[in-house]
Amino acid sequence: MDINKLVHLTSFAGEIMLENGAETYRVEETMERMCNAYGVQKVDSFVTPTGIIISITDIDGKIYSKVTRIKHRKVDLDRVSKLNDLSRQICNENIPLNIFEDYLITIKNGHEYEPNLVIFSSGISAGFFTLLFGGDFKDFFISMLIGFTIQVLSRTLNKIGTNSFFINAIGGAATSFIALASTSLHIGNNTDKIVIGSLMLLVPGLTITNAVRDTIAGDLVAGTSRIIEAFLIAIAIAVGSGLVFSFWISYFGGGSI
Amino acid sequence: MNLFMPSFYSFVATLAFSVLFNIKGKNVWLSAFGGGLSWFFYIFSLEFNISEPLAFFYASVAVAIYSEIMARVRKCPVTIFIICGILPLVPGGGMYYTMLASVEGNVTKSLNTGLSTLTIAGAVAVGVILVSSLTRLITFYYNKKK
Repeated sequence: MDINKLVHLTSFAGEIMLENGAETYRVEETMERMCNAYGVQKVDSFVTPTGIIISITDIDGKIYSKVTRIKHRKVDLDRVSKLNDLSRQICNENIPLNIFEDYLITIKNGHEYEPNLVIFSSGISAGFFTLLFGGDFKDFFISMLIGFTIQVLSRTLNKIGTNSFFINAIGGAATSFIALASTSLHIGNNTDKIVIGSLMLLVPGLTITNAVRDTIAGDLVAGTSRIIEAFLIAIAIAVGSGLVFSFWISYFGGGSI
Repeated sequence: MNLFMPSFYSFVATLAFSVLFNIKGKNVWLSAFGGGLSWFFYIFSLEFNISEPLAFFYASVAVAIYSEIMARVRKCPVTIFIICGILPLVPGGGMYYTMLASVEGNVTKSLNTGLSTLTIAGAVAVGVILVSSLTRLITFYYNKKK
């Protein structure tokens, strides 16, 4: 049994899960289960949203440990779900370490939806949220346009490596600008419904859910840091759209809002 | 009040959102159904003349129960369903009106809407917490029996 390799592989698995939007307690549990399945009993892991620390003690009392730093986080729930299946499979069957590694690499290089489909569905999502919150069909089309814009903007800014708060502020600003321009040109009818529906794309739903679930699982460090992250994202959106709104009101008056 | 059209809108919006979260296969439809369900329960509870935060609470409890069941049935992480399900319940409207009031310089109004937005967010979170704590209890006893 190559325990050194086991440490590397389990922390790699944890890294994939944490980068793609799993809760921290799930990452800790999965890593410990994987190690137990390979016959190691003494495993301790400490996971926060920005890093993983794992330490294994073997039968002779020798300690193996590894620190993994997580720098980028995105949402890809398919990978989380596949890793969950893999950990279940490891607990039930005896899989050699090199096959385990192959599985992990396959999951990491997993298939994502086409960029065009993602852009299209963010438009659809923004449009239908606008309808849901009481907009009419004119607003629906404006929101679809905003949805496309937000997705294209955030993909481009992500490629350059901009931080997420700036992306959210820019997204909020673009949304408010298009919404205000469309209503003052009488293409859209309700500025508020358009903005609310479109901003649902940026609202940190996943972060809030994970914050709540981490806190009740007892991971206080992870829970509080995720709550702060959600707050900062919400403030970034509000600052971006608030700036555009206050400029608009001071130059064109508040009559059109 | 019409119950089904808004629930359908919520279903489609969540369906599109699950593509953004890169959910695959049958789970796309199941999580989108959760999104429809949450808005349905929200409007349905408003029919009984209860306060807004309470309606949000009932909706989040309903969607959390649905997600826990689906996670057991499909054998995958419960977050996939919960995240999509509570998306329509996230108080985006409250956030917008708070922002607008503070831009207009109306401090009282912005504090007022800000507090009620926080209450709604808290109600949704408490709903999720309640159900998942109860599920932990149930699974604990179930495993002990075995």
